[in-house]
Amino acid sequence: MAFNILLVDDSVTVRSVISKALHLAGVDINLLYQASNGQEALDILEAEWIDLVLCDISMPIMDGETLVAKMGENGMINTIPVVIVSSAGSEPRIQRLRDMGVRDYIQKPFTPERIREVVDSVMGVAKHA
Amino acid sequence: MREQVVTSVSATFLQVVEQLTFMFGEAADKGDILDVDCDYILAQMAFTGDVNGTLSLAVPSDCVAEIAANILGLEPEEMEASSMAPDSLGEMLNVICGHVIMAIAGKSADFGLGSPVIGPATPAFLAQAVEDSDWLGFLLEENLVLLGLVTE
Repeated sequence: MAFNILLVDDSVTVRSVISKALHLAGVDINLLYQASNGQEALDILEAEWIDLVLCDISMPIMDGETLVAKMGENGMINTIPVVIVSSAGSEPRIQRLRDMGVRDYIQKPFTPERIREVVDSVMGVAKHA
Repeated sequence: MREQVVTSVSATFLQVVEQLTFMFGEAADKGDILDVDCDYILAQMAFTGDVNGTLSLAVPSDCVAEIAANILGLEPEEMEASSMAPDSLGEMLNVICGHVIMAIAGKSADFGLGSPVIGPATPAFLAQAVEDSDWLGFLLEENLVLLGLVTE
């Protein structure tokens, strides 16, 4: 099954690296959307079918924690899995985000294998033989 | 910086840079090898929470494109890397900052990172950084890189 994935990060470098990692890891992608902050992400989430959100925490305009809170308010967090991709992964913050409905956390720097592992786990993809 | 913090910050910096850019580095005596006439780019990032302060990174401008290219998996000559170089330097600082804070304050420390601010470093600023004990020197594949950590 091919997924529609939304990358949310204010760094064009990170969005490019995650995009490459997803392809290198062999994740089956239908459409790859990009947003540079939480507000842009919300606009895309309201307009497009998204299967998975990969999201940074620290961003201008609307940060990742606020985006997750907004997705909790409108119920999206229950149907669209969110994975945090960040270097600011302190345990209290990660636990807070998990309590808000975030499915998993990927710490930067990451490998394509780690991306694949988390995507497979969150999306319920069976492991390759 | 206290000796224990210097050791922790140095090890964390070198490990993250290697993982992120595939560039190998080592601690260096900043005063012996800094060429203040060389153009440097300065990236700075504030952090707040259980620990507050600023992490700064000064990198020779020639090296910034190489760092960006390595992060993006491109050749340094490729235009995309050049145009994205400041953003890539900011992202490298972002990753270093998160790891450095957890190294000095522990994984249970609650903190947030600000946005990286990128700009030129003046010769006077670099000369001051060499004298300042809050700044550490590293040789990153023959480029002198300076890392400054100031906590409140």
